[in-house]
Amino acid sequence: MYRSKQFWGSRRTFLQQLGWATMGFLIACNSNNTQDKQSVRVGAMYLLTGGFATYGEFARDGINLALAEINQAGGINGKPLEVIFEDESDPMQTARRLVLQEKVDFLLGIDSSGNGEALVAAIPELEKILMVTHAASPKVTGELCNRFVFRCSINSPQNSAAGAEIAATEGYQKWTTIGPDYAFGRQSWELFQQALQERKEGVKFLAKTAFPKLGAQDYNSFITTLQDSGAEAIWCSLWGNDLINFVRQANSFGLFKQFPVYMELGAAMEVLTALGEQMPIGQWVGTRYWWQTPDTEVNRNFVAQFRQQYQSYPSYNAQNAYVGLKLLALAANTAGTMETTAVIEALEGLEYEAPMGKLVLRQSDHQAIANVTWGKTAASPDYNFRILEPIVVVEGDSITRSPQATGCKL
Amino acid sequence: MFDRLHWIIITISIAGLFLLPVILAPFDLLLLTEILLMGLFALSFNLLFGYTGLLSFGHAAYFATGAYVCGYLVKHSVPFFLAILAGVIAALVLAAGLGYLSVRLDRIYFAMLTLAFSMMVYTIIFQWRDVTGGSDGITGIFATDLGIPGISIKLQGFSAYYYLTLILVAIAIYLLWRITHSPFGELLQASRENYQRLLFLGIDVRQLRWIAFILAGGFAGLAGALWSPFQRVANPEIAHWTFSATPVLMTVLGGYGRFAGPLVGATLFIGLEHWLQSNQRYFWQWLASLPLFPDTLVERQLNLWHLFLGLLLIPLILSFQGGLLASIEKIGKYFFPQRSQS
Repeated sequence: MYRSKQFWGSRRTFLQQLGWATMGFLIACNSNNTQDKQSVRVGAMYLLTGGFATYGEFARDGINLALAEINQAGGINGKPLEVIFEDESDPMQTARRLVLQEKVDFLLGIDSSGNGEALVAAIPELEKILMVTHAASPKVTGELCNRFVFRCSINSPQNSAAGAEIAATEGYQKWTTIGPDYAFGRQSWELFQQALQERKEGVKFLAKTAFPKLGAQDYNSFITTLQDSGAEAIWCSLWGNDLINFVRQANSFGLFKQFPVYMELGAAMEVLTALGEQMPIGQWVGTRYWWQTPDTEVNRNFVAQFRQQYQSYPSYNAQNAYVGLKLLALAANTAGTMETTAVIEALEGLEYEAPMGKLVLRQSDHQAIANVTWGKTAASPDYNFRILEPIVVVEGDSITRSPQATGCKL
Repeated sequence: MFDRLHWIIITISIAGLFLLPVILAPFDLLLLTEILLMGLFALSFNLLFGYTGLLSFGHAAYFATGAYVCGYLVKHSVPFFLAILAGVIAALVLAAGLGYLSVRLDRIYFAMLTLAFSMMVYTIIFQWRDVTGGSDGITGIFATDLGIPGISIKLQGFSAYYYLTLILVAIAIYLLWRITHSPFGELLQASRENYQRLLFLGIDVRQLRWIAFILAGGFAGLAGALWSPFQRVANPEIAHWTFSATPVLMTVLGGYGRFAGPLVGATLFIGLEHWLQSNQRYFWQWLASLPLFPDTLVERQLNLWHLFLGLLLIPLILSFQGGLLASIEKIGKYFFPQRSQS
């Protein structure tokens, strides 16, 4: 009895001491992070944790590639460039910390449209440029737009319109959709309907649609809904893990044999490599950059560099993030200063030869205009994932909303 | 109950909190605002948990109600002070309704019921796109003026909002203190210790708990109503049950047996969170400088601060059983043995 009591007592004391030691350690560590800033800093915010983290990791790889190139070429305005990566799941607090405490000169990133919209609305009070490289919500360069926000990636109206352009050339009259049950999935379906109606007469959009929750695991009931809908073709805006799970389950139902499924983000490398041979052949898939196109020197170099560094083909998110950092560096070097207004002026209307092809940052809404690639999935003995064959490149101007239609007033 | 030393400590801290914006950097001020709001949220939770002995796992529902109602009204140009008031009232009303049903059970059943109700609120917020913005939430919530007719009180800059938060939270904390130290508060504690005995004394324990539930909901609503204009956004995550776990953690960390425990817990928790987030890349730099570790750690900057947070919380919670505040008091007693605890 006595011994065990003593044992308990000593454990208590030990734990107590451990606790105070932890506190002491924290206080001791807290005093070393005020360093003088010798470099140009960029704060990069992506989904780096959770189910969609592969997107953030590809973006980080793209940025690190751009970072090495920029620093090799002399940095920005004679100073070395430094990038701080953060998870975007608390966008406001993270952006505030990056700007006010880490003193970053620019912000870059954002995967999720919801996070993008929250941040875009609040960016003017931080008075720093935000270069959006993924979040595709039309509002970012639409009704929420402001002079501090640019987007160097293809947005969801452009991507849906490109899909509609291809869909209009084929005979399908009755359409339904499956998409994630949040703003992006709903918007994508509306945008596709608008775009297809403009391009083709007499198409019908069914009321029977499938909107599983974002991050859902079980798609069986939704696949049955699609099969019973009476549609001739399906517009699919699922992405990431959701798309991977959906395709695997739809295969066992034979869905792809019954319907052509237009997968808006099906040609994302994150999805293609995960699915491998499970990705059906002969389906139309979209992306915001495809490493096979265009066949330019810039693109070939980029793909070669990326493969050498990371032993994989660059995904669209990697390319977009790479281009985002390159654009910021280019504009700041052109302006010759880090001052926000001067760099905004340098970015507006900027033309740039990116791996994805020529790109213009439109002055009226700060949205990038570039060509969009769609293609049909095909098997190839040279790759352990599906590639695109044939590839269709849709002209950027023909699928971009007019400045008046975006609702953006700068 | 309240001796001179306590008054001196409280006066000095309030004066200090008012003077802080002069010396603090803007970001520290934002952090302090966050601590005040989360502290109030945790305090309101502890009215149920520490004092009444009811573990609510759905307290985020009232926080989110306050945040959404206030955010929605501010977006529709309702004067800010009215929007805050409406947020609090909405949370009170919701707490009255859901609390009426929840207090019929206690222990784990109460926790499960509150969890279920809060997920109901979450689903409504997530699905009612026209009003709540669905998954995107309400964005761009800017309150630039307090909106009291006749007096123009501008809320530009982070320090103005900090002062508003400080004043409202201080009033709320004072009210909570009065409530917990009133005969009503004593009854709550008695119901926690032995509710059958209270029943025999002829006290309606269910009604007692119901009132505590409503009050807790109201204070959480106030914290929420100040939260969304502070974050400039109200998103559905603040209604999710994972957000309900935050005040639980803070309260356990600081100590549920003391009035100020949740405040101490909120300070420690948010401080830790912030410190880990801004220092993790120095950790990778340090690790990469050691032999055997690859240099790529510097550029990859793995995002593992949640893991570090967990690793730090384990010794803190294990060693400060009863909360950090209780442990501090123990040390205080060691130096001032004559002082009895309040």
